[in-house]
This record gives sequence, C-alpha cells and structure tokens, in this order.
Amino acid sequence: MIELKNISYQYQNGEQVLDDFNLTLEPGDKIGLVGPNGSGKTTLFKIIMGLLAPDEGEVIIFDQPREKEEDFIEVRERVGFMFQDSDDLLFCPTVEEDLAFGPLNLGKSKEEAKEIVQETLKLIGMEGFEKKVSYRLSGGQKRMIAFGAILAMQTEVLLLDEPFSGLDEDAIERMVGILNDTDRSYIIVSHNGELIERVTNKLYYMNE
Amino acid sequence: MININQGFAQGSSWVHQLDPRIKIITIFLLATVLAVGESIVMLLQALVFSSFLILSAKLDLKEVGKRLMVVNFFILGIWLFVPLTYPGEALFQVGPLSFSIPGVIYATKITLRSNAIMLGIIALLSTSTVSSLMQAMRYLYIPEKIVYLFFFVYRYVHVIWKEFNRLHDSMLMRGFKSETSLHSYRSYAYLIGMLIIRSYDRSRRVYEAMLCRGFRGEFHNLDELSFSSRDLKIFSGILFFISWIIIVEKGVFLV
Amino acid sequence: MHISEGVLSAPVLLTGAAATATGTAVALRQLDNEDIPQVAIVSAALFVGNLIHIPLGPTSVHLILNAMAGILLGWKAFPAFLVAFLLQSILFQFGGLTALGVNVAMVSIPAVVCHYLFKIVTKRDEEGIKRLGVAGFICGAVGIALAAIFLMLALSFTDGSLEEMGRAILVANIPLAIIEALLTSLCLVFLQKVKPEVFTEFQDGAQSLQRRGRL
Repeated sequence: MIELKNISYQYQNGEQVLDDFNLTLEPGDKIGLVGPNGSGKTTLFKIIMGLLAPDEGEVIIFDQPREKEEDFIEVRERVGFMFQDSDDLLFCPTVEEDLAFGPLNLGKSKEEAKEIVQETLKLIGMEGFEKKVSYRLSGGQKRMIAFGAILAMQTEVLLLDEPFSGLDEDAIERMVGILNDTDRSYIIVSHNGELIERVTNKLYYMNE
Repeated sequence: MININQGFAQGSSWVHQLDPRIKIITIFLLATVLAVGESIVMLLQALVFSSFLILSAKLDLKEVGKRLMVVNFFILGIWLFVPLTYPGEALFQVGPLSFSIPGVIYATKITLRSNAIMLGIIALLSTSTVSSLMQAMRYLYIPEKIVYLFFFVYRYVHVIWKEFNRLHDSMLMRGFKSETSLHSYRSYAYLIGMLIIRSYDRSRRVYEAMLCRGFRGEFHNLDELSFSSRDLKIFSGILFFISWIIIVEKGVFLV
Repeated sequence: MHISEGVLSAPVLLTGAAATATGTAVALRQLDNEDIPQVAIVSAALFVGNLIHIPLGPTSVHLILNAMAGILLGWKAFPAFLVAFLLQSILFQFGGLTALGVNVAMVSIPAVVCHYLFKIVTKRDEEGIKRLGVAGFICGAVGIALAAIFLMLALSFTDGSLEEMGRAILVANIPLAIIEALLTSLCLVFLQKVKPEVFTEFQDGAQSLQRRGRL
C-alpha cells in the first residue's frame, strides 16, 4: 500500500535526517517505528502525507507514484495521520464538529457524518462527549478525541505519531484494543517499547 | 488575569435559551438606537430594560458589577473633564473651576448610554457560547471568512495563553523580575517574538492537520438553527420595546 | 486604547465603521480560506500580547502591538483587530459594539501605515539588522502616536468639550509609544535572528507552505 524507495531528506539547516530510507507497508501490516529523537520519524510521516517533499527517492502509495500536490489529495482521503499535538488537530468548538470535519470534507452528508460521530464516540468509549468543548478537555481526553477524529475518516491506513503519550491506563487499554481489533494497516511511532510490541507485527529501527 | 471560559454562558434561563440570531439582532438594534439617542427618559427606560435582561438571565451580579467597573473607568474620565469644559450656566463653582449644568447633563447621558449598552451586551451576547454566536453569524450574512477567523482566534487564544504562561513561568523560575529596565523590556520583546514564532509554527501544523483530513478550502457546518414559537413571541416583544423607545426618543408624547 | 460605548457621536461612529468596513473588505479580498488559520492564530498571539502588563515605573501599561501586526499582516491587520476586539467585547466587554468600527480603525489604519513605512525604511535590505531595529523603533512609535491622534480626533469631532480629554489621553500615551517603539524594535531583531521566514511568508500566505514542501 505504501512504498518508500531510497528516500533522503535534509532539514533547511542542512541536517540530514533521512538517508536512503526504504519502507514497505502491505495490507495487514502493523508496523512499529522505533528510534531516538531526531531520527526523522515525524518527517517520514509528513513525506507520506505530502506535507514535505523528499530530496531524493520515490513515494509510491496505492500503487501510484506521488509527486505533485494534487497526487496527495487522494492519499489524504485514504490515509489518516494523527499528529503528536492534539491541539494541532482539534480546532472546532465542539467534539462533534471536530469528529465530523473529516467525513464532511470527504463528501458525507450531515446525517451520515452524525452517525459516524456516534459510532466513533462509542468505539473510543467517550459516549456523551459530542457537545463538549474540545479545548476544555483534559490532555488525555483530547488525545482520545484526536484518535477518534482520524478513525472517523474511515481510511485504509493509519499513521500514528506517539498516540499513547498522556493517556491513563484505561485509555491506553482502549486504544490498544481498538488497534488490535482493526483490520486497517498502520504505522505507529512510540517511545514506549512495551506498548509498541503489543500492537504491531513488524518493527523498524531508525538510526540517527 | 484573563478569563475566557465564558462563565456567563452557563445557565438555563430564557435569556440563555433565546435563539442567538435574535440576540444578535436585538443588541444591534438596541445599541444603535441608544448610541444616537439623546432623551434621558428614553435612556433610563433602556437601562431598566437591560437590567431586566440581566436579572432574567440570573447572572452573578457581583461579577456583572466588576465588569461594569472596568467600562466605567473611561466614563470616570469623562466626568473629570466634561463638566468643566462644557460651556453653559454654572451649577456650582470651586475656586476657578465651574461645573456647568449642560456639562453634567451631557456626562449623565454618556454614562446612561454606555451602561445600558454594556448591560445589554452582557445579557445578550455573553450568555451565548461563542460557537452558537458563530452559527448565528453565518445565518446573518456576515462574511464567511470573518466568521471563521473569529472561530479560529477564539479556539487558539486559549492555547497561546497557556503557551505564554509556560514561557513566562520559565522566565520567572530563572529569576526574571518584571521592572522598568532595558533588560526587562528586552525579555518581554523576546517573549512576544517567541510567542509569534510558536503561534506561526502552530498555525502551519493546524493547517497541515486540516489538509490531512481532506480540507480543500471549503468549510461545512453541521448544525442548523431553528426558531421556536417562544423565540418569535419574545422577539416581537423586543421589537415592540425598541419601537417604543424610538417613539420616546422622538418626543411624540413629550412635545 | 479603547473608546467606550455611548461616548461618540453618530457621524464619528459612522466614519469609523465605514473605515473599518473598507479596510476589512480590502483585506478579505487578499485572504484565501487557506490563509485563515495563519492570520487567526497570529491574531490570537497578538490578542494575548495585548493582555501582558509591561511595567512602567510604579504602574504598568498594556501593549497594542499594532505596528507589529501591520508589519507582519499588512491590510489583514483590519480583520485581525476586528475579530480580536469583537471577541474582547463579548468576553470582557472591552470596547463594545457601536464603537467597534472606530476602535478597530483607530489601531488598524496606523498598522497599515506602518506596513508600508517598514517596507520603505528596510528596503528588504539583507544585512541591515541595525536598519531593521531602527525601522521597528520608528514603526512602533508611529503606530501608537497615530492611534492616539485618531482617538483625540474622534473625541474632539464628537463634542468640543471632549477636546481637553482627548489631548490629555494623547499626552498620556507618549510613554506607551516609547515602550512600543523599543519592544517592536527588539522583537523584530529577534524574529530576524530566529526565524527570518516570518517576514516573507506572511505576505504569501498558505501558498508558501506548498512551495517549501512540495516543489
């Protein structure tokens, strides 16, 4: 589904973060990315989503080479990317609107979007939160809603950047359960080695 | 120092439940009539009306009083100058200073106007959540871009305020003292600069996150507003009152 | 720097509203939906900046930062201040509704003036960090001074008896003008050192994201 070939990327200050990097995601793959800070994990996600362009290498997603901005519109509709900071992702006044933002952009009707919101809240165990104000939630609740906002898009692939940080035991178990039950493929970045073992079937190590 | 949590918006009185479109139209009409109004009788009636709304909304009167104090700070300035500088017959004299009767009347009008409008804003706008006001603005043909700007500013003021506090706290932890000195001003300049940079970076991430969720330059809204028959009744009552104060202002009964 | 509700006369209120409407209309034409998060979040930063108390001898002052807004946002300072003041009026009743037009125009017209003034003084000069500091100082002072002059004019056009008060406010704002000048200057130098892109990218809006990312 996702194929990265010989990707290299340099920050604007000249620092090389990715050098000749290769990665393949097949249907059913649940990949964990492990590596120290600054090894380019978030950069990698941004390259897949078309937010950054690699200096060298090929990005092939859903069997199509992706180069221009237009190529990535389809990618963004079929790949969900959960940002590290939930405040970047949740920008609507209410939880309901935040969860419906993606589905509405994908052309769902208001009724369908509302239905998806209800299903998603049930899935993440946060029923009754639809009218709550997003920014007034606790850090852990925000992260769970951000996770829900990505799930609500019903994409085939998920990219999760440190999804567990700031969650309590209960919420972690819920998220682990959801990840183990889903048949979607995903790539996950986390510093928590034990949790990553529980939700993945392949591990990639990244060096500085 | 700052409370953007909208304490007044919590409540279940009929004022709270009134359709936000009615609230916006009402305060707009009321404020316009009052701002150009000259009749003290009319201004007094409007003040009573605004106070009635405040009481109906069952707001914490102490908190309302605090907010009025801030507004009346400027009005206090008016009282310090206008009675002395307004030409006219003197009410009384203290040494070389003469307080003119028309000046006192003029300052009274300003005070009444200002307080009546402010109470109206508190009763009608502060009792609505920002998201419901936004929704209403969309119905009232306010340009979409303004509505969305409004909504993003509201959403991120809170986040940036926290960011400011984190930066400021870390300055204090390192022994920063706020004082009138170049070092202190330079530190504030850096703090503001850092706030701008972080906000700028955040705005890019927010935009990227929106792109990743399929945003293509068009916003969709989820809820629709609908009038209830009670809303209509209250709105007719309000329109009746506003027509009444216009008649009073024009002096139909006084002449 | 706000004029309260109920003070100004109808012609002054209308003039202010017309100026704000015109400025906002010009800005909205330059503003795509894609640019909204950027303008809004920086407005939010300025909103927060406005609430900081800067010590001045035994008292403290609030910053306006209109020169800063103008330098970064250009004409978009109009909608930025419009939205910020509207929000302040709803949240803490600063400024009000009928006086909104006057209050916005009072700070935004100087902001736009500063925008062009800044361009003229710096001439996009690469090595001129000193020049940038000087430009910041001038703009900071001009931003506040102009705003205070507008405030004085709004008061004196309303009624002759308010002229005295307007003049007093003008004088009272001199220290603020000096502080803003100093802070704007230092802040610009800081931005130039830490993240010079902000100067150009605000003008180009969201397209710059694409340019740096995928091209």
